[in-house]
Amino acid sequence: MNGLNVAKVVFGAAIMFFLLAPLIAILPLSFTDSVFLNYPIPAYSTRWFNELVTADVWRRSIVNSLIIGSGTTALATVLGTLGALGLRNHASFWSLSFIRTAFLLPMVVPAVVLGVGMQLMFARYNLTNSYLGVIIAHTVLAVPFVVINVLSVLQAIDPRLEQAAASLGAHPVTVLARVTLPLALPGIISGAVFAFATSLDEVVLTLFVAGPNQRTLARQMFSSIRENISPAIAAAAFVFIVGTIFVALILILSRKSLARR
Amino acid sequence: MKDDRKRSWLVSLALVAPLVLFLVFFFAAPLYTMVSAAISDPIGARALPHTSAIIERWDGTSPPSPEMQTAFAEDLRAIDDDQLFGDLVRRLNSAKSGFRTLMPKTRNAVKADPAANDLVAIDERWSDPAFWQPVKTATASTITDRNLLAAVDLERSTAGDIQEMPEGSSANRATLIRTFVVSLSVTLACLLIGLPYAMIAASVDGWKRQLLLGAVLLPLWTSLLVRTAAWFILLQDNGLINSSLTALGLINSPLPLIFNRAGVIIAMTHVLLPFMVLPIFSVLIGIPKNLMPAAASLGAPPLRAFWNVLLPMSTRGIVSGSLLVFMSALGYYITPALIGGARDQMISSVIAYYATGAANWGMAGALGLVLLVATLILYTVYLRLSGEEQAKR
Amino acid sequence: MQDPFISFEKVSKSFGTFNVVDELYLSISRGEFVSMLGPSGSGKTTILMMLAGFEKPTSGKIFVGGRQVDALPPHKRNMGVVFQNYALFPHMSVAENVGFPLKMRRMPRAEADGRIKRALDMVQLGTMSERRPSQLSGGQQQRVALARALVFEPEVVLMDEPLGALDKKLREQMQLDIRELHRRLGLTIIFVTHDQGEALTMSDRIAVFNHGKIEQIGKPSEIYDHPTTRFVAEFVGETNLIMGTIKQSGDGRAIIQLPSGSTLEASAPNLNAGTQVSLSIRPERIRSGKAQAPANILSGTVRDVVYHGDHLQLLLDADGHQLLVRSDRAVKAPEAGQKMDFSFAPEDCWVVAQ
Repeated sequence: MNGLNVAKVVFGAAIMFFLLAPLIAILPLSFTDSVFLNYPIPAYSTRWFNELVTADVWRRSIVNSLIIGSGTTALATVLGTLGALGLRNHASFWSLSFIRTAFLLPMVVPAVVLGVGMQLMFARYNLTNSYLGVIIAHTVLAVPFVVINVLSVLQAIDPRLEQAAASLGAHPVTVLARVTLPLALPGIISGAVFAFATSLDEVVLTLFVAGPNQRTLARQMFSSIRENISPAIAAAAFVFIVGTIFVALILILSRKSLARR
Repeated sequence: MKDDRKRSWLVSLALVAPLVLFLVFFFAAPLYTMVSAAISDPIGARALPHTSAIIERWDGTSPPSPEMQTAFAEDLRAIDDDQLFGDLVRRLNSAKSGFRTLMPKTRNAVKADPAANDLVAIDERWSDPAFWQPVKTATASTITDRNLLAAVDLERSTAGDIQEMPEGSSANRATLIRTFVVSLSVTLACLLIGLPYAMIAASVDGWKRQLLLGAVLLPLWTSLLVRTAAWFILLQDNGLINSSLTALGLINSPLPLIFNRAGVIIAMTHVLLPFMVLPIFSVLIGIPKNLMPAAASLGAPPLRAFWNVLLPMSTRGIVSGSLLVFMSALGYYITPALIGGARDQMISSVIAYYATGAANWGMAGALGLVLLVATLILYTVYLRLSGEEQAKR
Repeated sequence: MQDPFISFEKVSKSFGTFNVVDELYLSISRGEFVSMLGPSGSGKTTILMMLAGFEKPTSGKIFVGGRQVDALPPHKRNMGVVFQNYALFPHMSVAENVGFPLKMRRMPRAEADGRIKRALDMVQLGTMSERRPSQLSGGQQQRVALARALVFEPEVVLMDEPLGALDKKLREQMQLDIRELHRRLGLTIIFVTHDQGEALTMSDRIAVFNHGKIEQIGKPSEIYDHPTTRFVAEFVGETNLIMGTIKQSGDGRAIIQLPSGSTLEASAPNLNAGTQVSLSIRPERIRSGKAQAPANILSGTVRDVVYHGDHLQLLLDADGHQLLVRSDRAVKAPEAGQKMDFSFAPEDCWVVAQ
């Protein structure tokens, strides 16, 4: 029995190492002074973070990511929240599994396949090489997250709360604005966060749809790894990992505020 | 009463409509466009209307008749759109090389002299039926199975029968097999690591379980690009892995870990492992904890209890996880594109090459269709399984 | 009875082929406290939901104050509703919850604040106004819900099992509080419950529901003492049912023959001789020993004696029937197996429809 326990600990630790070590190993490299991504690090500096915000390609890609990420978040959150509100009333008719299947398809279809189709079709409507085109492409991938998140919160709302509001004299629109939406807010927020994160990390559709002017941070990292790898990648990765932890905190906090009710 | 229900339906419809229209226009329509690119072949009939009418009666082997040549020359004179001409040349050249030089030469000649209808006089190659066969097929129909066949290394003979492409002329079948093998290897690697890991996570509780699950979730939440970049840096010839092994004296020259299949499998296993661990874990924690002690009390030694009790009960999680990993691996692009070798490409890289590099939409669409169908079949199986699961509960 | 304030006219509600409410006629006067009592699925909550406007009748008409309301949306009905789980808005403070209906009516801020304060004082929660509902106990949440339903002075207050989630002591306290509010404010209250004790304590009238129909409607004492159907007799309070056949009847009395051959005298409407009936006798109406005539006297064997603190419960075998008797502690307790006589007056035993 003891031998089994030792084996469990060793194996579990080894796999945790496999899972986490690559993420941890990349962090110190972002502070290297050298132009090589190697250990041992000769000297520490923040020159690559400097590079990230001063070099034109990196700076523009960060700005582009923020523009496209905000656009995607706004579009996906509005479309997804409206859709979830509409689906909710007839959730039993549509049946949840059907909704899940239909709206998860964009996540299932390989991005390359969708990218080829989008490039072909967007070219016809002059959507390639435009911010709008990239935002639309990202929204297709992001909107399922919003629908799923908002729908699950909406279904947890006691319908009697809305009946109570109506009985107290609230018009249906007021019920929506003052009761339903405030209660659904945690789901809307986490949907929006997922949408932004999806856009931030999206590469494949961007490759197919975006032009040189819409190069996002992820797209820039992709070509930088492919063509000309430098510690700026590690610096960008550092920003991403810190951002991830930040976003995870927001989500956990918004869940907690929901649980407190 | 009825009006009321109708109104509530209308409101719901109005709320869902923007989302549905958005997905129809920007999700379904692109996929349709891709599929139609794979099977449509409108250029020949559009650019060569006269030829199309006359060449229909040609048997495909006898020397080209003067009428065919006259019709072809007339069609060429009528083409003003350089874009259309370029598409036509590309279309014909993809069936037989040589058109790229032959066509501009012929076009210039017939445009210069409105009476020059003897094409053989312009270029000897026009006497060869082999140059007229592509014209006949290109003008015969606006849809084609050429790309779909080519996606699995097949083609139609001049007689119209399906046959193997000549050895070495296309590598699509090899790519498909390679994609399958790599995906299968990644799935197996994930299963070998993920199953015991999920079992360990399910067997402990409290902070230990949180820690084990956190280690799976953190990479899942981290940017895919960051994870790929990390592996790129680690796997380099002078990366952390090789330099540590050298420093320990285990190796003398760096192991080739990047730009080959080993690197792809390692990195993809890391990326997809959560999709194996989480479904298995969720099935395992649903199994009552006292089953193993119960089996033991009934006289089953631990290994037999595992084999006869725990494993059969977790089959569903294992199958779900494997399907998820395999399905995702099939269409993976970023990791293989950055870490894989140039001669060891998976299907998604080939699709991307056809689309962005070669502008061969037909082939990109055809391979895309193969990948799409494979993915959707796997997804359907996956849904069936998880649907049955829910029905059972 | 004065002109009815609320009336249901042949109201039916069906879901698919299932009739939840079946051709209901019901009139309620202004200021009345009416309880709707029945097992779950008897249609009582659906009636409340139709009155509040959350459900639309399949057919029939509902009038409130002479106005037909069945086509009116809930927010235009001006009825206070207290829900089973209180349905307080979790994202608003207590004061905001109570102020919600006033805000909807665009009441000026200062006036609204005064009303909120008075409403909260009325339910003794004046100090809790800034708390969130989740920070209150169940009883306090219940009182906030009550204040919220009353603050806009609605014409009617509807309560759907409002005390169901409270423990016994708190429930009894709230029953008294609600009754007191009803008297003081002259409210018209419709109160849905499945708890017969609650209905008996609080109501002016009780409507007993079964399978979407009213079995009996009347004052609590009528319902308890003179149930007209077997369902009502069994559902409200404990009772003994004895089967028999009418031998002769008239003048509100009837002689009933039991299967054993002995006869009993009971209160009854005029019925044809030979009709199969049930007699309902409440356990506390049966006295041990032989009483002076006119009384029905039976003798039997004590099967079991159950101690209940303030009283004893005897289980008797008599004439092929099992009877429950509530016995005063003042009387010396009989023992199991003992033979004894017991009696009950004809006006305490009641013929009910089978």
